[in-house]
Amino acid sequence: MRRALLPLLLAAALLGGCSTPEPEPEPAPAPAPAGGAAALPGPVPADLALRPAPGTAPAAPAFTGALTDGTPFAAAELWAQRPVVLIFFNSWCTTCASSQAALSELARSYRDRVIFVGVAGADQADEVQDYLRAHRVEYPVVLDDQQTIWRSYAVREPPAVVLVAKGGALLRGWPGGLDAPTLDRRLRELVLADQP
Amino acid sequence: MRRSITTLLPLLLAGATGCGTVGAAQEAVDPTTVRVLVRDINIRAAGVDCAGTGPYQHFHNRAPFRVLDPDGAALASGQLPAGTAVAAFAEDLGVERLPTYCEFAVGVRVPQRTSYRLEVDGRPALDLTPDSSEGPALVAVVPS
Repeated sequence: MRRALLPLLLAAALLGGCSTPEPEPEPAPAPAPAGGAAALPGPVPADLALRPAPGTAPAAPAFTGALTDGTPFAAAELWAQRPVVLIFFNSWCTTCASSQAALSELARSYRDRVIFVGVAGADQADEVQDYLRAHRVEYPVVLDDQQTIWRSYAVREPPAVVLVAKGGALLRGWPGGLDAPTLDRRLRELVLADQP
Repeated sequence: MRRSITTLLPLLLAGATGCGTVGAAQEAVDPTTVRVLVRDINIRAAGVDCAGTGPYQHFHNRAPFRVLDPDGAALASGQLPAGTAVAAFAEDLGVERLPTYCEFAVGVRVPQRTSYRLEVDGRPALDLTPDSSEGPALVAVVPS
């Protein structure tokens, strides 16, 4: 009988210990994925002045996909309102990494006027996140797991940069990428009016 | 308590013995360089970092690789570095971007074997050929 009481006593002691529980700290909310819906642009500034796209420019291949947080994305909805710069990259790409911080800063400087969109081809989502955070990428990023977007733009190797005018005309592509000062200059030459 | 010790002692001894045996059985290894030339003829500036293109996209910076012996046992493993673009033709084409191959080179330490193979990112392994023209190396060319 005494042996039978022992487990009861132990249980009572344990329950007694639970009667004054320490409040568990609330787990910190996970940060929103970089490159997700929060990175989509705001309204187009009313004073945005653009150069007309040449009539000979072909139409850029329209594409849909999902951003890093799963948000559906349609490129044509963005370039219906403003010029778009597509940045094709991979998280393991050393050339992409070497120019990314300056491109991220350029994208911030053009925020809402010219929207940059990253297109990560066949990459690991967690490694893409590490890359985006390391290089302060604050523009939307599409995960192109099957590389269908890459193929539609004939991108064979990262980096590559493509400039699409408002309305969807394909203005220029730069296989091998280009640095931020050069891209800035080309944006002023090709799409932005009233820019020194 | 006595029962616990009786149970654990053989396991502890076996573990200790196993560690010693593994250490004693380690073979001598020699440093060498695994070189892979990916002949994808992509347009790049010579000398820039590169990755394989088309059917060779699995050759890229951080791609996992293993050096295998003839029986398929892994002798060394690691991650590839970025490749380097090398001109595909000797002629001066007068342009910055030209047809190139992408060459990878990574140092490994492997024991002596009759032959070696290279597996990259789980794809079918490639034969490696010894080459000492620029120091000890095991080389592969794709497509061969």
